[in-house]
Amino acid sequence: MKPAVIISAHDLHKTYRMGRVGVPVLRGVSLDVAPRECLAVLGASGSGKSTLLHLLGGLDRPDPGRGAISYNGRPLGGMSAHKLDRYRASEVGFVFQFYHLLPELNVMQNVLISAMVLLGRTGFARRGSALRRSAEELLDRFGLAQRLRHRPAELSGGERQRVAIARALINEPALLLADEPTGNLDQKTGASILDALMQLRADRGLTMILVTHDASTAARADRTVRLVDGVLEPAPALQGAAQ
Amino acid sequence: MYQALLTRRYLFSKIMPLLASAAVMLCTAMVIVVWSVMGGFLVMLLNSGKSMIGDVSITWPVQGIPHYQDLVARLEADPAVDAATPTIETLGLLGLPSTDLKPVTVVGVEPEGYHRVTGYRDRLWWRPLEEPLARDAERADPRLESPEMAGWLEDGARLAESDGSAGLRPAVALGIQVTEYNNERTPEGFFRTRYYDMPEREVTLSVLPLSRRGVAIEAAARRFPVANEFHSGLYQVDAEWVVVPLESLQQMLRMDSARKLDPVDDVPRIERDPETGREVLIPPEGGELSPARATTVLVKAAPGVAAAALRDRCKEIYAEFRALHKDAPPAEQHGLIFTWEEKPGLKVFISAVKKETSLVLVLFSFISITAVFLIFAIFWSMISEKTRDIGVLRAVGASRAGVAWLFVRYGLVIGIVGSLAGAALAFVIVTNINPIHEWLGSALGLWVWDPRVYYFDVIPNKVDPVRAGIVVCSGIASSALGALIPALRAAFMDPVRALRFE
Repeated sequence: MKPAVIISAHDLHKTYRMGRVGVPVLRGVSLDVAPRECLAVLGASGSGKSTLLHLLGGLDRPDPGRGAISYNGRPLGGMSAHKLDRYRASEVGFVFQFYHLLPELNVMQNVLISAMVLLGRTGFARRGSALRRSAEELLDRFGLAQRLRHRPAELSGGERQRVAIARALINEPALLLADEPTGNLDQKTGASILDALMQLRADRGLTMILVTHDASTAARADRTVRLVDGVLEPAPALQGAAQ
Repeated sequence: MYQALLTRRYLFSKIMPLLASAAVMLCTAMVIVVWSVMGGFLVMLLNSGKSMIGDVSITWPVQGIPHYQDLVARLEADPAVDAATPTIETLGLLGLPSTDLKPVTVVGVEPEGYHRVTGYRDRLWWRPLEEPLARDAERADPRLESPEMAGWLEDGARLAESDGSAGLRPAVALGIQVTEYNNERTPEGFFRTRYYDMPEREVTLSVLPLSRRGVAIEAAARRFPVANEFHSGLYQVDAEWVVVPLESLQQMLRMDSARKLDPVDDVPRIERDPETGREVLIPPEGGELSPARATTVLVKAAPGVAAAALRDRCKEIYAEFRALHKDAPPAEQHGLIFTWEEKPGLKVFISAVKKETSLVLVLFSFISITAVFLIFAIFWSMISEKTRDIGVLRAVGASRAGVAWLFVRYGLVIGIVGSLAGAALAFVIVTNINPIHEWLGSALGLWVWDPRVYYFDVIPNKVDPVRAGIVVCSGIASSALGALIPALRAAFMDPVRALRFE
């Protein structure tokens, strides 16, 4: 019996145009991810890992008529722009390799910005206190309780990534999409970030899709697939788990 | 919500938005200052023109209007008329105490009636003053606590001064700048006399009576004491006008009441005085009585009556008057009755000033459009710089409209800050424009406002709140307009490319 699926992709194709030339990045990617599962997508630079993550997160769309993604059975392709915005705000949390914090905002504001986008003025005003407490708890858990008023420029790489994770989780999404979350960190810091992610995943029952070029990072996942030339292959060490 | 937070942060984190605000501020201030000064100039011109000649003038130069007393009585009996008064206006020569001769405009008036129509008494300069002018911190104004001021004011108001016995001697009032060599205007706004107080001096006034055909008769000259000086604010009036009692001027111009004599039949007789035995000249008794004349009747409208409506009513009243007095100028005579705006010369001048105001405003508005392009350029470059932020916002669920609103709102805030600061700056400049001008003149020799060109001795210094509001709103709208296209560019940016932007 097939397990329940939170997000599935079927025969995804994505081609980028470089002038008049089309460069295919994904060439028929299909995958199913179960709730609470942690899937690692392993691949070399330029293999299309980030593109796959962007498609799954609703930031980008596959080539017209060439592939479909559904979240909890609802096809993303059929969603209006407004619904897709809501999907990204409430169901998905993004973590990027280069953190992508807003430099003008302090740590607390960077975390709360996602909640502001989701709830709007009145919603945020109503739930502002609870959200601030929630943000403080998350940041405290990441050892950043004393850095709430600091700007990103005043933080180390590991601290910035923790802030980015807190931002991704403040709206309590069901799906966390992490794009090389340790790719810009030293081994020790990267390991601690992964520990934090895994702990959060366990505590909150998160589904996580982790793209990485590092096999040791991928090894922390429940299941690993390899993206080669725009096509998913089972990872050698986890042959049976891959599709 | 997030737009408000980011707008606040963006505004104070970079120098460029502050420069954009400064550009909007300067443009707003520039347009408000220009509009206030030029618009204020026009308003001052209109008010002064109106106050010097009333709402409507009935004018018949040279020959004058006979039976003007009846015309004034008929006019004042009409509900559309608040007051009416006769005057005579002619050219003359003024012999000053300095022995200089100065060409002047001589205006004969009945002081009471002239005050009711034009507020003449309120313009008399030398009067008791209890509180100093706003800028006279040192209380240097000679009108303060000066015992002779009350007498000068009374003399100026009645155009006469006591001759030492029980009688009154006709006197004149000069425009305060007729004797520019003597009356020095201080930066504090009052006049200080250099050599002597004019109200204690005498002047000689010479005028040239004209026959009914406009031929000059023998010149008449008469010495008058100076009762007071007046300050209308209209440079031309203050520098050239001399106000004299109507009766005195009528006598000098031979426009007073007299009998018409036949040069052949109506000759004087010589008779011997039975008491003294001397021969005396007896004037002829015959001849028709020729009434006194005035060249102009000034009419002030009753409250709520427009000048044009009053002019039409005056034409009707004059037609009735003319039906009774056949020796008066014909009612259908072109240019006999006109409103203050239609006065020959003034109409063309007002029209020119209106056009000049519009032209200057349009030119400065065009210059202000540069602020729109400046904001456009700043936002365009800022959005390039903030590309990754835009990608992040889209990744956390911000809509295209939300991103566009972030930058339009940012433009609006820059516009609001800049425009309000510009309005405040303009208010400070306009309300202090005269001291600023005096400082520029004394420190740098830069005298921009020549009262001989602009008629008034002070630069208009009032900001019209409605006009300022229009300029502020335009500044805000322009800023939002400048931000709009870059904001749309941000909204339609591909979020994936934005996130990959380096």
